[in-house]
Amino acid sequence: MTTGSVWEWIIKSVVIVFGLLTGFAYLTLLERKVLAKIQVRIGPNRAGPMGLFQPLADAIKLIFKEEIIPSRADKIIFVLAPIITVIPALIILGVLPFGGIITLFGRQISLSLADLNVGVLYITAIASISIYGIVLAGWSSNNKYAMLGGIRSSAQMISYELALGLSFIGPILLSGSMSLHDIVAAQKPLWFVVYQPVGALIFWIATLAEVNRAPFDMPEAEQELTAGYHTEYSGMKFALFFMAEYIKMIAVSAIAATLFFGGYRFVLEDQYPILGPVWLLGKVIVLLFGMIWVRATLPRIRYDRLMAFGWKFLFPLALANVFFTAIGIVLEKLWLIPLLTIAVFLGAVVMVGISETRRWRSHVF
Amino acid sequence: MAFWDYLPIAILFVISAGLAAIAVGLGHLFGPRKPTPKKLEPYESGMNPFGPGTRRMPVRFYLVAVLFILFDIEVVFFLPWAVVLKDLGITGLVEMIVFVSILVVGFIYAWKKGALEWE
Amino acid sequence: MTQQLTTITETLVERFPGAVLKDERPGYEGYLVSAENLPEIAQFLRDQMGYDYLSSVTGVDYLPEGKMETVYHFFRSTGGSALELKVSLPRENPVVPSLVSIFPGAELQERETYDLLGIIFDGHPDLRRILLWDGFDGHPLRKDWQEPYYEEEAKPFKSRWPEGRAIRVEEKNIFKKNVKYPAGFDPETFTPEGDTSLFASLDKLKRHDEESGMKSDHIIINFGPQHTSTHGVFRMAAAVEGETIIGLKPAMGYLHRNHEKIAERNTYLMNMPYTDRLDYLSPLSNNFGYAIAVEKLMGIQPAERAEYLRVIMAEFTRISNHLFLIGSLLNDLGAYFTPMLYALEERELILDVFEAVTGSRMMCNYFRFGGVARDLPEGQLQKIKDLAFDRLPRKIDEMDRFLTESEIIRARGVGVGVLTPEEAIAYSTCGPVLRASGVPYDVRRADPYSIYERFDFDVAVRYHGDVYDRFLLRFDEIRQSIRIIQQAVRDMPEGPVQSGKPQYQAKVPAGEAYGRVEGPKGELGYYVVSNGKPNPWRYHVRAPSFINLTALEKLCVGNKVADVFAILGSIDIVLGETDR
Repeated sequence: MTTGSVWEWIIKSVVIVFGLLTGFAYLTLLERKVLAKIQVRIGPNRAGPMGLFQPLADAIKLIFKEEIIPSRADKIIFVLAPIITVIPALIILGVLPFGGIITLFGRQISLSLADLNVGVLYITAIASISIYGIVLAGWSSNNKYAMLGGIRSSAQMISYELALGLSFIGPILLSGSMSLHDIVAAQKPLWFVVYQPVGALIFWIATLAEVNRAPFDMPEAEQELTAGYHTEYSGMKFALFFMAEYIKMIAVSAIAATLFFGGYRFVLEDQYPILGPVWLLGKVIVLLFGMIWVRATLPRIRYDRLMAFGWKFLFPLALANVFFTAIGIVLEKLWLIPLLTIAVFLGAVVMVGISETRRWRSHVF
Repeated sequence: MAFWDYLPIAILFVISAGLAAIAVGLGHLFGPRKPTPKKLEPYESGMNPFGPGTRRMPVRFYLVAVLFILFDIEVVFFLPWAVVLKDLGITGLVEMIVFVSILVVGFIYAWKKGALEWE
Repeated sequence: MTQQLTTITETLVERFPGAVLKDERPGYEGYLVSAENLPEIAQFLRDQMGYDYLSSVTGVDYLPEGKMETVYHFFRSTGGSALELKVSLPRENPVVPSLVSIFPGAELQERETYDLLGIIFDGHPDLRRILLWDGFDGHPLRKDWQEPYYEEEAKPFKSRWPEGRAIRVEEKNIFKKNVKYPAGFDPETFTPEGDTSLFASLDKLKRHDEESGMKSDHIIINFGPQHTSTHGVFRMAAAVEGETIIGLKPAMGYLHRNHEKIAERNTYLMNMPYTDRLDYLSPLSNNFGYAIAVEKLMGIQPAERAEYLRVIMAEFTRISNHLFLIGSLLNDLGAYFTPMLYALEERELILDVFEAVTGSRMMCNYFRFGGVARDLPEGQLQKIKDLAFDRLPRKIDEMDRFLTESEIIRARGVGVGVLTPEEAIAYSTCGPVLRASGVPYDVRRADPYSIYERFDFDVAVRYHGDVYDRFLLRFDEIRQSIRIIQQAVRDMPEGPVQSGKPQYQAKVPAGEAYGRVEGPKGELGYYVVSNGKPNPWRYHVRAPSFINLTALEKLCVGNKVADVFAILGSIDIVLGETDR
């Protein structure tokens, strides 16, 4: 290992961090614009052309906001909590391949920071850590709304994490590796979403809960807990929570793209490896749009219902998905997987539909 | 080797942590500071809070949380198995089915017992 | 009707000899009963005679006669006109038995009467001030109570009119200097008694629980007044165990301005724009109720065309109110503003009509005694027709299609906040809350006013009494309102919009009247007492969203924190009316 490669890592790290920060800034703008269009409004249009400087204005405003630490709050944890939340969001993409190998200044540079052979494990581990920041923020604020928000977030975590973990197994089974580079490489003939339609759906639903997005935004539930775990936060500390949420949105979309949608690979990428990051960005934006669309459409579900949904629907379904994927692989009949899993999925939906309808019909007071 | 694999991650971690610290520091540096006792009260919709903000609270999902740990470990066992399933072939599949069915029986028992019900 | 009343009189007098007297004052109706017999008579009315719905409880201070009266309006939940009971009380230390044990719906109303008039309701479970704060000096609706900067009994004040110059009270209003405190009161060291007793009633639950050996704490948590989903400065103090509500007390009055006292200083017509500010989302319904009450007193009939215009406007108000409710309820459920903004889009079109016809989008001030202020401007009828026959039915179906079948809305609404029909009647709930519980009680049908008996429409009823049914009921009601507007537009005759000459000073003979309409939020009643002078002697508003809150604790206990806001949203309150 040379000094050169250490510098390369430093530069790559800085690029990733600042790329994510820029992405975060413009994701907020994108979200506001898309929401506005869906809701027959205009959206931000004052700061710069089409509101392009709006994120900058927001950042400057937040820097100059007064920071309040409530009395009787646990000061150290109160300050640490937003930092604990934002760091996992920033480092989770360290194992993600953004592209192939390009030649720059006569050097072969791989468009990724690290290629861990346990990349998927790393992602699940890091993703779980940010929950600590939220729970600690809720606990240290000496605020009842915040505490309820923190407890909700742990309840939420134990509801979706199993399904999320199991939905990773499908791509691992198909590629036979936990390295994200290998997973991307294994998708060269066909995207895994074709073999794993149900797995991809479970992954996407679970990540909505992971990043506290509507309809699973219970920890911050504005209408109920005013702002949930970050009620007492203001200024930059609040901005860090906000940042963590949006960067995690980008991160999980990038991971979803990598696991199920062929990662950075798309047409012409073989000839021009520089297109890799562009294709990845494109896929990420499509997935992000989906998340924003869901937020504009659905009301929030109650957190005890989420727990029932996670344990009684998503978890068995994810288990069945793993089981049928394994069968398909062992029998070397991959086309069986989508057929069987979709059949099971539809069966489960119909069963839930029947039992819920019966519950409503028989509902008497 | 393994250590060098993780070095880039460590670098990324340091840079991220530095950035987060700088962000907090910036707010600390530029934000005004005029605390008053009223302002430092925890926010409770504008009323004086009754009692402390943090106290013992019944978490109804305690049992579910214990089950969660159990099944999360199961998921961890899945990971190495998934990597080598292609080599293990039908034996690996059968072994995993045996392992999972024990847990699934437990899961169904917990479900029927109402451990997954809210209250 | 007369026959029926005679029978009632006979039955009551026979059953309670000497305790029930017919009110013989000119312009008055109902019965005077003695205080000690009141609970017995109320029980008898409820159980034997079918008057199971206690609509309104209030009081009047008859200063010249040196007495006070509490006034009760009973109705049958099957329909019909009011049975009025009055209890005459001394001005010093007035005590009357509470009716809460027989009619739970009296709870908040008796508290209000205690707060504003100082009448003590013996046996009331929680007799505290409700609209005013605890350090307040006196009971403002007593006629000898005078506000700071008091000028005269009645407007127009001589300092302003005819040649005086306008003085804005705000200019005199130096903070803390315009408040009257009781002797020996220091606002700096004052801890609100109400909060202590409010929390104490919730804290009892905790102690009970500790006896059972549980080690966990209940949390007493305030939702409101500065909260995103309380629809204004409304406050609920809730005791929660985990996230389950085990006790909840509403607290209100943050927007209180003593509407009724101000109205008693105003002349009759001056109150008309003032009613707009009650339920500011449905101003024209408020106008309607007040106009009906005063017209009853004056004994006049509005012009024929005006009746139709009134109905059209009142039904448009109902539609716009329900659209707003559907949007904001979805917001309370966590849908990020999309349903709200689509609902507001339609509401805007209705407000456009209001603006063209009345001159204002929200504070319409359109009704006059004997008619309405002005006729439809050129071309508005076509716009109304377009809305009623084309746009609104289409858009309502569209919203219905998108919202009602949503799994999440069902999951959040079905079985949440259930009120049985018996409870709904006992708690004096009204309007959509009552009808969603399976009680087909709509004032437009039960006790028809104006020209509603001419129209063909159905009373919307749903039977589960939960949040989901209250939500669906709003769609049903909008559809019925559209039907009424369609018929009214078709049948509306030409002619004047005002019977008689428009006049600034209504000549109102002495007497009392209770005028009620089916407002979008429920039964909106105005109890007006006149002594023949240009100003009302007593003016009381039976505010539906205030009285519907009586059932709030019943609805919320046992549900989750998240459900509280769905329930509150489904009751549909507007703080301008709740706090008055």
